Amino acid sequence: MDRNTRRTLDLLQILTDKEITVKYKRTALGFLWSLMNPILSALVLFIAFKIFMRFQMKDYTLFMLSAMFPWTWFSASVLMCVNTLTGNTSLIKKVIFPKRLLILSVINGQLVTLIFSIPILAAMTFYYGMHPVWTWLYGIPLLMAIQYFIIYGMGMLTSMVNAYFRDMEHIIAVCINMLFWMTPIMYPLQMVPEKYRIFLVLNPMTYLIESWRDVIMGNNINWDYILISVVTAGLVMSAGTAVFNRMDKRIDEVL
Amino acid sequence: MIAADSVWKSFPVERDRPGFKEFITNVPKFLKSGRNQFWALKDVSFRVNKGECLGIIGRNGAGKSTLLSLLLGSSQPTKGKIEMQGKRTPLLELGAGFHQDMTGRENIIMNGILLGQTKDEVLMKIDEIIGFSGLEEFIDRPIRTYSSGMYMRLAFSVAIHTDPEILLIDEILSVGDEFFQKKSNEAILGLINRGITTVFVSHDMSSVKKICSRVLWLEHGGIMADGSPDDVVEKYITRGSDDGSKVY
Repeated sequence: MDRNTRRTLDLLQILTDKEITVKYKRTALGFLWSLMNPILSALVLFIAFKIFMRFQMKDYTLFMLSAMFPWTWFSASVLMCVNTLTGNTSLIKKVIFPKRLLILSVINGQLVTLIFSIPILAAMTFYYGMHPVWTWLYGIPLLMAIQYFIIYGMGMLTSMVNAYFRDMEHIIAVCINMLFWMTPIMYPLQMVPEKYRIFLVLNPMTYLIESWRDVIMGNNINWDYILISVVTAGLVMSAGTAVFNRMDKRIDEVL
Repeated sequence: MIAADSVWKSFPVERDRPGFKEFITNVPKFLKSGRNQFWALKDVSFRVNKGECLGIIGRNGAGKSTLLSLLLGSSQPTKGKIEMQGKRTPLLELGAGFHQDMTGRENIIMNGILLGQTKDEVLMKIDEIIGFSGLEEFIDRPIRTYSSGMYMRLAFSVAIHTDPEILLIDEILSVGDEFFQKKSNEAILGLINRGITTVFVSHDMSSVKKICSRVLWLEHGGIMADGSPDDVVEKYITRGSDDGSKVY
């Protein structure tokens, strides 16, 4: 392997390690938090929707969590990515290295939490009288890959724009929140009244999240949805790369 | 080898951002005024041959650090061209990228990679680095427990052990206590004598004279003089005392 590639990979690995370990460095539970976080948020949602609100739907908790965990990977990463460039000014100005590694390390760090939530989903399928199916073996990696590129594109786009236009950070927080309620995560798509359903249908995240749910709950995979998600990833990646490369040239002047 | 060919660099002038109300009531004005530019470097050309050590002197705000960041490649010239051959090692800000909660050892590895090494290369030299820093007993503690002097010593030790080919130094030679300062000066001189190319920004005229083979004097973004250390430093000092208001 060429020395430069080797160094880039080493750097990515060490930045990712840092992203994962530093977060929990001074905590008593340490890395266990990666497992505790999804368990606890699953518990909170279970209590809120199943015990308090008594949402009447078959297998609701699994239904919701199978969408919630992938969504959290998306939203948490994008929200953190926005600040990767503005938050590492001295590194960017005083050292030369590929800046996109900062974004990738954030995504990788958050991916670990998603990976830790998969055993929780598996345990829950048994609770609901189902079991993990063979589709998980290729469905989960496939969806992870697609979503990885969507987040990466979003990360490049938002972090770079945020360097020039700091309002981005606040705008993206509102948008993510809005997008959350425009995606069928807490409720099924069919529950939305016909005349408003167009908002969900036009939202590309709907297809990705629905695909996650299909895989986890052992339904048939809708390959049209996968295709739409792949196209979305392609578009977001091209937009992100274009903006990132173009605005990168003058970034030192605004940081 | 470094060749800068008529390099210009401008920064947008940061005015106070107009509030939303001012912006709305004065839209035509804001659209018209365009962007104010501040030229930090104006038409700067020079060459540094392999093995040469170029000193850059000048007052605060003369453009020295801007020039260094252009040479490093962390920023691009607005106009003109810079050509560099060789691996650049920045000694611009010691400990850029250090993480407070990681141990000295972990920070050595991360910083070494950031400065252009592979992990294996850093690991091969890690004992030497720790030895040079003289921080053996603290190396596995998080660096937030370090004193600022220890922090700098660690950062400096990593930086000089990265096999530099082109070394860019921004006045950091006064690191640590007297003993460590002597050691770090010797280490830098050792590197320079080994034939690496160096660009050295400093306000300390005696070390400029001692280390550099040539000196560039920058003022207001332009080159005032380029020549032998003794001549240029002499001119710079006389000029500085001529108009007392702006003594460096």
